[in-house]
Amino acid sequence: MDPRGATAELSALERLAASAGIEVPNLLAARERTATAMVERRRTLAESPIDEDVAVVVMGSWGRRELTSASDDDWLLLIDGPARAGVHPSPDEVGRVLPRAAGREGIFESVVDRDALTTRIGLARDTNESLTRRMLLLLESVPLVGPAAHHGVITALLETYLGAGVKDCQPPRFLLNDVIRYWRTVAVDFEGKDRDRAGAGWGLRNAKLRTSRKLLFAGGLLPVLECHSLRRTDMVDHLRARLALPPTDRVAQAFLDQGLADAGGRCLAAYDEFIALLDDTATRGRLSALGRADAATDETFARVRRIGRQVEQALLALLFETRAFAPLVRQYVVF
Amino acid sequence: MPGKRRAGAGRAIDRPPIRVMRNDGSVSAGALLDPVAADELFAAHVPIGASSGYMATLRGDWSALVATAREVSPAAIELSALDESELDGLLTFLRSWDGLPFRYVSVHAPSKARSLSDADLAAVLGALPPYVTAIVMHPDTLGDPAALRHLGGRLVLENMDRRKDDGRTADELSPFFATLPDAGLCFDIAHAASMDTDLDTAGGLLDSFGPRLRHVHLSSLDRSGAHVSLTQADAARFAPLLRRCADVPWILEAPPPS
Repeated sequence: MDPRGATAELSALERLAASAGIEVPNLLAARERTATAMVERRRTLAESPIDEDVAVVVMGSWGRRELTSASDDDWLLLIDGPARAGVHPSPDEVGRVLPRAAGREGIFESVVDRDALTTRIGLARDTNESLTRRMLLLLESVPLVGPAAHHGVITALLETYLGAGVKDCQPPRFLLNDVIRYWRTVAVDFEGKDRDRAGAGWGLRNAKLRTSRKLLFAGGLLPVLECHSLRRTDMVDHLRARLALPPTDRVAQAFLDQGLADAGGRCLAAYDEFIALLDDTATRGRLSALGRADAATDETFARVRRIGRQVEQALLALLFETRAFAPLVRQYVVF
Repeated sequence: MPGKRRAGAGRAIDRPPIRVMRNDGSVSAGALLDPVAADELFAAHVPIGASSGYMATLRGDWSALVATAREVSPAAIELSALDESELDGLLTFLRSWDGLPFRYVSVHAPSKARSLSDADLAAVLGALPPYVTAIVMHPDTLGDPAALRHLGGRLVLENMDRRKDDGRTADELSPFFATLPDAGLCFDIAHAASMDTDLDTAGGLLDSFGPRLRHVHLSSLDRSGAHVSLTQADAARFAPLLRRCADVPWILEAPPPS
């Protein structure tokens, strides 16, 4: 079910599951849970005044439509225009509707304007924070309120990336490089966080890096590579449409398009198993408490490693063993 | 979905498959011809590895077996202790390493000269180091499959060839997977191909247990049923089914084809 209620057709995930003969009950339940929670939050937010140029967007598990019992509330207040004061709803009002603490890095629970997002790409003015916000907006954001403002900012961002030097039937390199840079940043920051936090939370972060983060990267990489078959003028529409889908749908669609339903089914069935682990309070707590030194002998982590391997193997087959993607990966992804 | 048969075993390819119709009008699941060239398929598949089982002259010298397998590929290895007498030596060798220089490490558990009970064998196999991802068992050698349940997702069951009495087809494997719900499938394509020329058994195994697939055993069989290097004819014949296994390691059970 599409949380935005845009279509009653089967999602790519459901079509892949049917084609591969697998079931993904935990992913579908998480989508249902996300959709229900969005309706509730929208209703509450609608009780306060909302500026026309403002959107409240949710990211993380919300944006991926993978809410579990312990998911954080990762949100941003987005202005489709320059920075200004006196935004409605206010951050305090949004915080009361989405109260579960987000990550520690100060990425979320803030007001962000379109100009800041589109003019600080690259060089010293671009920071870990701005890169992360920009990429999460593109890769896993959904507006709770203000869909027009969200649409405006996403379009402005894509047009910034595709504004110059993009050629027909070639993946847009500026955007491609930033998507790849973001994935590498996530992987490097994993080690940075581990040092800063003296190992606390290592197991859960490692598990997410092997699964959710990797799928999110693939969910960004694939639509960009798919631009190889498009005229330059059609790329923004393609990217906006693809990125509006949950990352698991983008990946599922690519497996279906490339005739790799079996591998895709194993990939998303494994990820479904991971969502079940995350939704289990005891297992999540066990992973959270797990340190690097104990990972080799921990049964739960062994299961996570197997799940992560299945996800990665299938994505590698999609990228390196299909006629559509293999030449593109060789040509564009390394250099 | 065990037992459920999907139409079109060779569907997972880039281009539309050529369906081969039988005289009665039904479509042969395994005989969907894949226009993808076998050579292209093998060239693209990076996670290929060697089984130490075919390196007969090095048997027992685990360091040499690992070095030889590494020359084939650093992607995967299967260390074969087909005879129970080889198991102690393998365990000692593996425990002396924190990990082997392969992305995927499988151990083929004994299927010959068995004296340990299933429960005792399971206890020994459970002590394999954590970096061993898969433990391959022949289902037809198990008297008490439930005794292996604690091996969980590390256990993979291999489909057997036509000379065996059990574990050959999807129907015969179903009870084993029912008893061992976390176990994976090691798809021995040559064994499956020995069952029928249309490869219906092979297609049926992937249809029924595809979601459990962990790795493939790849070779041809000679007339005696022994594993030999993959022939060009079998490579072409197996290609549509191997395309459905593009994401898992393919373990060579005979020397790589020249």
